[in-house]
Amino acid sequence: MSQADLSVPFRQRAGSAMKDAFLQEALTIATTKFIGLRREAFGDFPEGEKLRDVAREIKEATLQHLDRYLEQLIDNVERLGGKVHFASTAAEARGVILEIARQAGARMAVKSKSMATEEIHLNEALEQAGITPVETDLGEYIIQLAHERPSHIIAPAIHKTKGQVADLFAKELRRTVAADPEVLTKIARGELREKFLQADLGITGANFAIADTGTIVLVTNEGNGRMVTSLPRVHVAVMGVEKVVPSMTDLMVFLAILAKSATGQKLSVYTTFVQGPRRAGELEGPEELHLVLLDNGRINQLAGPLREALYCLRCGACLNVCPVYRQIGGHAYGHTYPGPIGILLTAMLSGPASVKELAHASSLCGACAEACPVRIDIPRMLIELRREVDETKIAPRTERAVFKAFGRLLTRPVLYRLAARIARLLQRPFVRDGAIRSLPLFFGDWTRTRDLPAVAPRTFHERWKELAREAPP
Amino acid sequence: MTTREEFMARIRAEMGKTRGLFPATPATRPEYPREEAEAIRAQLAERWPEALERFRHEFEKVGGVFHRVPTLTEVPEVVTGIARAREARRLVSWHPSQLGADLGQALAARGLTPLPMPPGEATNPTERARLRQLAASAELGLTGVDLAIAETGTLVLRSGAGRPRSTSLLPAYHIAVFDRTALVESLAQVGVFLELWHADGATEDRGAVISFITGPSRTADIELTLTRGVHGPKEVHVIFVEREIRG
Amino acid sequence: MTAPRVALMVTCLGDVFFPEVGVSIVRLLRRLGATVEFPPGQTCCGLPLFNSGYHTEARAVAARTVALFRDADNVIVPSGSCAWMVKHEYPGLMQDPALKKDALRLAGRTYELSQFLVKVLGRRGFRATVGGRVTYHDSCHLLRGLHEAESPREILRNLEGVEFVELPGADECCGFGGSFAVRLPEVSSQILAKKLENVEATGAACLVACDAGCLMQMGGGLRRRRSRVRAVHLAELLDGGGA
Repeated sequence: MSQADLSVPFRQRAGSAMKDAFLQEALTIATTKFIGLRREAFGDFPEGEKLRDVAREIKEATLQHLDRYLEQLIDNVERLGGKVHFASTAAEARGVILEIARQAGARMAVKSKSMATEEIHLNEALEQAGITPVETDLGEYIIQLAHERPSHIIAPAIHKTKGQVADLFAKELRRTVAADPEVLTKIARGELREKFLQADLGITGANFAIADTGTIVLVTNEGNGRMVTSLPRVHVAVMGVEKVVPSMTDLMVFLAILAKSATGQKLSVYTTFVQGPRRAGELEGPEELHLVLLDNGRINQLAGPLREALYCLRCGACLNVCPVYRQIGGHAYGHTYPGPIGILLTAMLSGPASVKELAHASSLCGACAEACPVRIDIPRMLIELRREVDETKIAPRTERAVFKAFGRLLTRPVLYRLAARIARLLQRPFVRDGAIRSLPLFFGDWTRTRDLPAVAPRTFHERWKELAREAPP
Repeated sequence: MTTREEFMARIRAEMGKTRGLFPATPATRPEYPREEAEAIRAQLAERWPEALERFRHEFEKVGGVFHRVPTLTEVPEVVTGIARAREARRLVSWHPSQLGADLGQALAARGLTPLPMPPGEATNPTERARLRQLAASAELGLTGVDLAIAETGTLVLRSGAGRPRSTSLLPAYHIAVFDRTALVESLAQVGVFLELWHADGATEDRGAVISFITGPSRTADIELTLTRGVHGPKEVHVIFVEREIRG
Repeated sequence: MTAPRVALMVTCLGDVFFPEVGVSIVRLLRRLGATVEFPPGQTCCGLPLFNSGYHTEARAVAARTVALFRDADNVIVPSGSCAWMVKHEYPGLMQDPALKKDALRLAGRTYELSQFLVKVLGRRGFRATVGGRVTYHDSCHLLRGLHEAESPREILRNLEGVEFVELPGADECCGFGGSFAVRLPEVSSQILAKKLENVEATGAACLVACDAGCLMQMGGGLRRRRSRVRAVHLAELLDGGGA
């Protein structure tokens, strides 16, 4: 299963994903592993709980003075010789970047992993403009060869077998390739090394940007972030406005919990602080540095119901613990960002109608909020999205009618008890040994895989009279 | 295209509609970073053996290889040992002024091929291209270290004149040399130094990049199988020198 | 607390599908010396409406419930999710200031059953109505909403005649999620299947939970598999006599 066709209902996309045997195995292994690693990392880290509270507070405090911190960031980046651009929409962001690329005469761009560039669909735009984008993060490189989108926020190719990767590499390089991760890694290293050295343009995201110093911070494991920001002549960083942090001291709080939440590492292998383009005296570094600040629906949420989703560090912890994600993987969600936070981000970027189905892709179990390093209350916002979908009548009419009728029933006890009695009557043909194995119509959605208890011969209400009279034991 | 003014005006407009979710302040920054940094240094002057032990433990946990020598004089032998075991010869390093010593001759005498990096920037594009090729062709990269973080086994390297970024990035084997004065205990302490390095009046005599390096380059993107040396070095070695390098 | 006065909020699922749980609770509480009232005309706490985003309708149901229980000293709820709804969402849901005040008062006096037994009555030791090995599933709202992992376990560990074993993945969702179970039945069923594999692997004869929704889901799945494991509410295991 590679791409999600949004014209296919979500329920069906989920169904297809659950029939993909390798995906199922990969999901179980990967999510279980990530959960264990995260648990271990925080288990060894007693200060972790307090730091999560501090991190959450820093995120909120930043939003409360977002204008001040962004102005500071912009001034500092410019002082260091960088240029800052402002993109209200994805289209604008693409336009800005294409113009930078055109002026630089770029023919090839190396990219470090960036969900923000996925979000704005940058690669397609670059290709159409005759510029070759090369993903250099191994997982992203793999899915680029496969013409797919990432299926997990931090492990984009988690759904691919090593055999599938070997086939992709073999097709690209026109020779046989062993299905061994060491061999495949070595091949990628060699192929991409050349690209790093030749590319005119390097494109990254930004995990954080420090207002006080004008620093762009990249958190990576492979080294591609360092290559992309040092070797090409031009570096473009694309960043959502909410990624700004006030100071280096604040940054340390996030660094202490980010990698632990994502992969269980104390720190990722590389944390790269980029402060402007190459300085006098330096042998390497870009001559031009551009920071593209991206709105694309974020600013609208400052006073909106999804404000808290702006705290997100893009660690992926919520995906790993989500019972829904663990069954269906990332592609079935059908949008750039999958998993619990992905539903909120999709609504942020594309409006509530876009999550008409996805808002219900959750049992509201709360495991996501529990795992989130900055304690984002995802279930609360999912309920809020459902409310919006209902109130703006995006939800189907029949559904709204049923729930409203149900609501009326629950405020009329006589009707309610009558309904129970009617149900007891209607169920009679279906009851065996106090349970129901099969029901028609939409009730079949339950009974296809589960028995249903029968409506009791006497409800608790009906038993209360004699229970009230029972002598205390 | 949206201008800065338009962009910020939109942000301010939305901000004005809400007070936020709860009262919140950012982290408390050190008021006197210089004094705090000096205090940390003073503490570490006492506690460095424990910090070193912790550093070693964490560094090895992430796959680093730890070496220890009494003085700088012993460093070339260790480097050669690493090189020979890997059939490596070509070595780029930070300029001696940044490394704290000129080890070129000693390394050449032991059969290695040191490829010197300049003290500053390249004089012209051809020179830059040549030096880039050298760095890309080297198997070994030798650097110093600005800070070594015990909590995480991390090396902190600032780029700059005579300290090319590529030295710790392009070669397959990165070797970093440091003494006790580089040790700090925690990320929180590093934060103080980062504040200091950017405080008003701090000299901008360094390059544009600070790199935190925590072990060799790695990925688990293929079936969650861990492999090393994706783009960056596949091995990282440290040589701890007991006698202070700049004594 | 001697001779407490409690009011039972039996919940919609409890009333219609699991009345024997309500009966067990009434008898248990009486044996512990409590007077038990049952405000008639209760229907539902409104959680299904709330979770699906029908907040106007949920508000009406909640307001009715608040009024029904206004005079109660202690409100006992056999489902963690309903107790959570009353304690966490009712106050915010009420718009009328007087109702909001009542809702806050109610929230402070509402307890899930095991919470009440252990934290309010201080009772942990009970005789069991059955013997053998039992295991326990943490329902999501009880665990993460009410932060109650320990109260049910304290009771189960101290249960005479019963061997308690931990369920691997006890804190993982069973897949019920209210309307989720029928909106996305395939996903819900796959989540359930994994849960039940863990349950059967414990070798327990009884799977205990403190939420009617979870019990419907897991019990329904166990019955469909013709499993020897029975899904029961904690209250059904407790005989009021003993320690």
